[in-house]
Amino acid sequence: MALKTIDIGSVDDFEAGRPRRIEAGGRALMVVRRDRRFFALRDICPHQGAPLSAGRVDGAALPCRPGEEISYGRLGEILTCPWHGWQFDLETGRALVEPDRFRVRVYPVSVAGRRVVVKMD
Amino acid sequence: MVEATAEFETLTTNGRKPGVTLIDADVHNYPDSMDELMPHLSKRWQAYVKQSGFTIPSVSIYPKLYAQAARRDAWPPNGKRPGADAEFSREQLLDTWGIDYAVLNPLVAVSTVRNIDLANALQRAVNEWTREAWLDADRRWRGSIVVNIQDADAAAAEIERLATDRRFVQVLLLVRSYAPYGRREFRPIFRAAAAADLPVGIHFGGGGNPITASGWPSYYIEDHTGMSQAFEAQVISLVCEGVFEELPSARVALIEGGFAWLPALMWRLDKNYRGLHAEVPWLRRLPSEYILDHFRATTQPMEEPADARHLLAILDMIGRDNFLMFATDYPHWDFDAPDRALPRVIKGALRQRILAANAADFYGLEDN
Repeated sequence: MALKTIDIGSVDDFEAGRPRRIEAGGRALMVVRRDRRFFALRDICPHQGAPLSAGRVDGAALPCRPGEEISYGRLGEILTCPWHGWQFDLETGRALVEPDRFRVRVYPVSVAGRRVVVKMD
Repeated sequence: MVEATAEFETLTTNGRKPGVTLIDADVHNYPDSMDELMPHLSKRWQAYVKQSGFTIPSVSIYPKLYAQAARRDAWPPNGKRPGADAEFSREQLLDTWGIDYAVLNPLVAVSTVRNIDLANALQRAVNEWTREAWLDADRRWRGSIVVNIQDADAAAAEIERLATDRRFVQVLLLVRSYAPYGRREFRPIFRAAAAADLPVGIHFGGGGNPITASGWPSYYIEDHTGMSQAFEAQVISLVCEGVFEELPSARVALIEGGFAWLPALMWRLDKNYRGLHAEVPWLRRLPSEYILDHFRATTQPMEEPADARHLLAILDMIGRDNFLMFATDYPHWDFDAPDRALPRVIKGALRQRILAANAADFYGLEDN
């Protein structure tokens, strides 16, 4: 099926790092801007259906060895669900825990001029 | 899926000869009094014990309804306390039931002795007494190294000291500790055990804190039933503190704590890990995966649902046929008989695994 290209607003409508819920193509999307890049994920957590757009985009505790100081990194790359704290990689939509089992659908987003455009089937 | 229906067959896993058919993973040996430990104490501590009238520290907190928590018929004719006469235990347990190996867990509460130097002297004395009075007496006995958890470095040194005597097959801790064993202060014990390729056995009992997280109950029936809370706390702690990431070869036996609670704990811990993993980023797998790879449990006191098939359902939820190891808990009142404790619905290869092969693999026991 050919993908539909849907205009979801102006670049200026999106504050960096703050997720927004956008209705597009009959679906609810969580859209967030990181610098000049945009990410669009289905706005439903695969766990219990929470609106991911009510969550936070920030970083994550980085993997380390037992006893090491815990570092915080991947700033702007991780979406945390507002209900139970599940975390997802914005690029892939995969959960940080059990990534092969839990995944949020990711939609391609691009910027044309000052317009933000998402591709959906 | 756990295999529960196959006909009885002879296992030869790990190249072991098919001669080991029954292993008892929890038997108790007791010094009858401090007199038996005295030869294994230095002159200084001998004098201290005499002067102070120090007696063997017990793991019991509640009156147990049965004297010495023992079977009525387990009192040796020579007047010693149950579990204090190696010859009588050999006859009444090993010979009666045809047990190939029995793992001895001496319940001497060295870790509750606040004089930390005496506690260190006692751990060594108990271990030397086990070696001389029991391991030398019959080749079927296997020992557990008693350690003083108040001084983890001294405990580690004791493990290292005894590691060359392979008749000692585990390090023994009591489940009710003053803090859970995953905490870093206890890590030297687990490092030393792993370095010696010895599992750590965590056994029913101990003390130092109220015995439930809600404070003190009134009765021994509550003490006994509620012990599983302490086992849960230890499992959670050992996993979450990253013991098995630091020590991939570490192995832990849960002794006399039951096992039916384990599936619920794994579900709850895995679920919480999905939302709380940022606290413990040294974990790389689901908590349940560490549990199933690193822990085993003994059967006694066998959980006895009205419908015995529910046990199979629990085993299916655990999902590993190598998880359970049979134990009697001789000479205690809640002894499980080798021919009757496992319900008949547990049969075939699974039954044989529980009765012998799992403990043989876990403790490295071969044809005697």
